[in-house]
Amino acid sequence: MIRQDLFELAARNMRNARLRNALTTMGIAVGVASLVAMLSLGIGLQGFANHQLMKSGMFQTVFVTSRQDIRNAEEQADAKPDAKPEESPALNDDARKKIAALPGVEEVSPEVRATAEVEYGGRTNFTLLAGLPESAREEDAVEKVKGRFFSSANADEVLLRRDFAKKLEKDDPDSMLGKTVILRYAERQSGDSSDSFSIERKEKQFRVVGLLDEEPFGGMRMISRARVFLPTQTAEVMNLMQPADTQQLVRSTPGSRTYSMLTVRMKSAAYAEKVEESVKKMNYSAYSYLDATKSIRRFFAVLDMFLGIFGSLALAVASLAIVNTLVMAVLERRREIGIMKALGASDADVKKLFFAEAATMGLIGGALGVVLGWVMGRAINFGTNFYLHRMKMPAENLWTVPLWLVAGAIGFAVLVSVLAGIYPAARAAKLDPVQALRYE
Amino acid sequence: MSGLTGADAIEALGASRYYTMGEATVRAVDDVSFTIGRGEFAALLGPSGSGKSTLLNLLAGLDHLTAGSIVVAGRDLNTMDSEALARYRRLTVGMIFQSFNLVPTMTLADNIELPLRFAETPRSERHERVLELLTNVGLAHRASHKPTELSGGEQQRAAIARALANRPSLLLADEPTGNLDSRNGQEVMTLLRELNEKMAVTVLMVTHDPALADRYARKSLHMADGKLVSREEALR
Repeated sequence: MIRQDLFELAARNMRNARLRNALTTMGIAVGVASLVAMLSLGIGLQGFANHQLMKSGMFQTVFVTSRQDIRNAEEQADAKPDAKPEESPALNDDARKKIAALPGVEEVSPEVRATAEVEYGGRTNFTLLAGLPESAREEDAVEKVKGRFFSSANADEVLLRRDFAKKLEKDDPDSMLGKTVILRYAERQSGDSSDSFSIERKEKQFRVVGLLDEEPFGGMRMISRARVFLPTQTAEVMNLMQPADTQQLVRSTPGSRTYSMLTVRMKSAAYAEKVEESVKKMNYSAYSYLDATKSIRRFFAVLDMFLGIFGSLALAVASLAIVNTLVMAVLERRREIGIMKALGASDADVKKLFFAEAATMGLIGGALGVVLGWVMGRAINFGTNFYLHRMKMPAENLWTVPLWLVAGAIGFAVLVSVLAGIYPAARAAKLDPVQALRYE
Repeated sequence: MSGLTGADAIEALGASRYYTMGEATVRAVDDVSFTIGRGEFAALLGPSGSGKSTLLNLLAGLDHLTAGSIVVAGRDLNTMDSEALARYRRLTVGMIFQSFNLVPTMTLADNIELPLRFAETPRSERHERVLELLTNVGLAHRASHKPTELSGGEQQRAAIARALANRPSLLLADEPTGNLDSRNGQEVMTLLRELNEKMAVTVLMVTHDPALADRYARKSLHMADGKLVSREEALR
C-alpha cells in the first residue's frame, strides 16, 4: 500500500473512534508537554546560571598569589608538601611578565586596593579604593553602569558605587557624572635603604564617569567591596600604599615591589586549566573557578536527566494508553482486518496501518504537547517575573524552548507511539482471517 | 503439471486440511481431488460442516493445506509465502460472502476502492474504476451510501463489485444468496451468471441448495464429511 493510502485509512479509522483516539492523543500531548516543560526549565536554568557566571568572567580568570602570602600558609600542606612558603618566589614584576607570556593570557592585572578620602562639593568621605582592569568593561555590573566605563586604561577617571555617591550628593547622585572629585591617598615611596619605604599623603583630581548599581564580579572578588573604582593602570602608577605592603616589609625581601595577588584573564575559559597548571609549576598558588564549573555542569547534566525522566514518565503512561487504544481497535476491528486480508492486504499492510495510526497520534499529540508545554512555560515565566518584579529584582528568562527541543519532542512522541504500536500491530497482522471472518 | 496447459482454472490433488482439537484430529477436508475448467461455473454442495467453506478458504489462499496441493491459474498455492498469498488474493481471486462483509463504516465507493488501494492502483484511475464497477452492478447512484443504508441484495451486489475490482480470473462465492430473499437471491445469481458468461470469470459457488446449483452451475461437486462424493451418494 502506498503511504498516502495508509494515512488516509489511518485517519478514517481514527475518526471512527473519535473520542477514544482524541483522549489518547491528549494523553500524549500532556506527556510531551510535561517533558518539554521539564527540559526547557532545565535548559533555561542552566542558561541563566551560565549567563550569570560567564558574565562575571570567572571562568576566564585565574587568581595567582605567592605562597609566601600568609593567607596561603594553611593551604601549603595539600598544595605541595615539599615546597616551603619561604622557597616560593616573590610575586613581582618578573613573575607578572612571565605569566603574561603564557599562551592564551589576555591580561595580567594586580589587585590594587587602598583606603582613600574622597572630596566632592565640600563634603568628604573615607572609603575603599580599587583598580578595575580593562577587561572589566564586559562585566555584568559594569555593563549596566549609569554613565560609561573608563575612556582609556590609564585615564584619571573613577566609577562610584551609587550608595557611596549618595553620601556625597544625597539628593541627586546622577548629577555627579562628569564632575570632578578629589582623592586623598597614601603614596608609597622608596626608602633610603632596601629595608624601608616611606609614605606620603597625596591628592589627585578625578572625573566621575559612571555610577555602579551592583558590585562588580558579582561580589566574588576582593575588589568588589570597594566603593570607588579607577583604572588599574592609573592606580599602579599612583603607587598606592596597600595593606599587603606592611606584610612585605616585615618579610626579609622588601626591595622591589611585589604583588599580593595577580588576576590573570584568559582569551577563553579553555585556557584556564593550562595556565593554572603552568603557574603552579612556577611555584605560585593558583586558583580558578574551573573546578566549580565542572561540578556545576555535572549538576545540570544530572538535573536535566532527572527532569527528563520525570517528564518522560507522563509520556510512558501515555504510551500505555496508545497500546490500550490500539489493542482495543484490533479487537473491535477483527472482522474488518479479516476482510482486508481476504481482499489481499498483506500482513505488512495491516501492520503498517496500525503503525500509521500510532504515528499519527504521536505526531498530533506531540505537536499539541509542544504548544501546551510552551504555554505552560510562558505562564511559569510570567509568574516568576511577576514575583521578581514584586521583589524589585530584574526579570529573568528562566524558560527556554529551543527549536531542537520542539523537533526532538515531536520526534520522540512519534517514536514512542510507534514503539507502543508494535504489539498491537503485530497482533493485528497475525490475526487469522478465517477465524476473523467466521460468521458469528 | 496440467496447470501449465492452461485448460484448468483450479486443480486440486489430494487436498487435505486437518485441525487438531485437543486430542482429536478433525479432517475438515480430506484427500480431495478435482479440476474446474477455465471460465466454468461450478457449485460446491454439501450440508453444514461438510468442509465446503474450509475448501473455499483453501482455494482463496486464506488457509493452509495440511497435505496435497492446489494449483490455481497454473500456480501452486503451497509454494507461496504469506506475501505471495496476499498478492494472489489481491489479484487472482475475488471473494463473496454470505454476510457480504462490507466494511460498515465505509461508503460503497470506499469499500470498492479498498482492494484497489492494496493493489496500489494509481489514484488517478481509481475513481473511474470504482464508478465503472458500481455501474456494472447497477449501484452507481448509491456510491456514497453506507452499507447499512442498503438492502441485502444491494449489499451483495456491491460486494461482487468489490470482488471484481482487480479483475480476478476466479470468483469464490460462499453461500452468496444465503442471507437474501428469493427475489434478491435471483438477482445476485443472474449477475454472477452474467459475469461468468460475459467476462469469462471462473465461478465457484458454495451452496447447500441443490436446486440453485442445478439451475446455474454447469458442474457440481458434492462434499460430505470432508470428502468429495458422487451426487448419488450425497442424496442418499
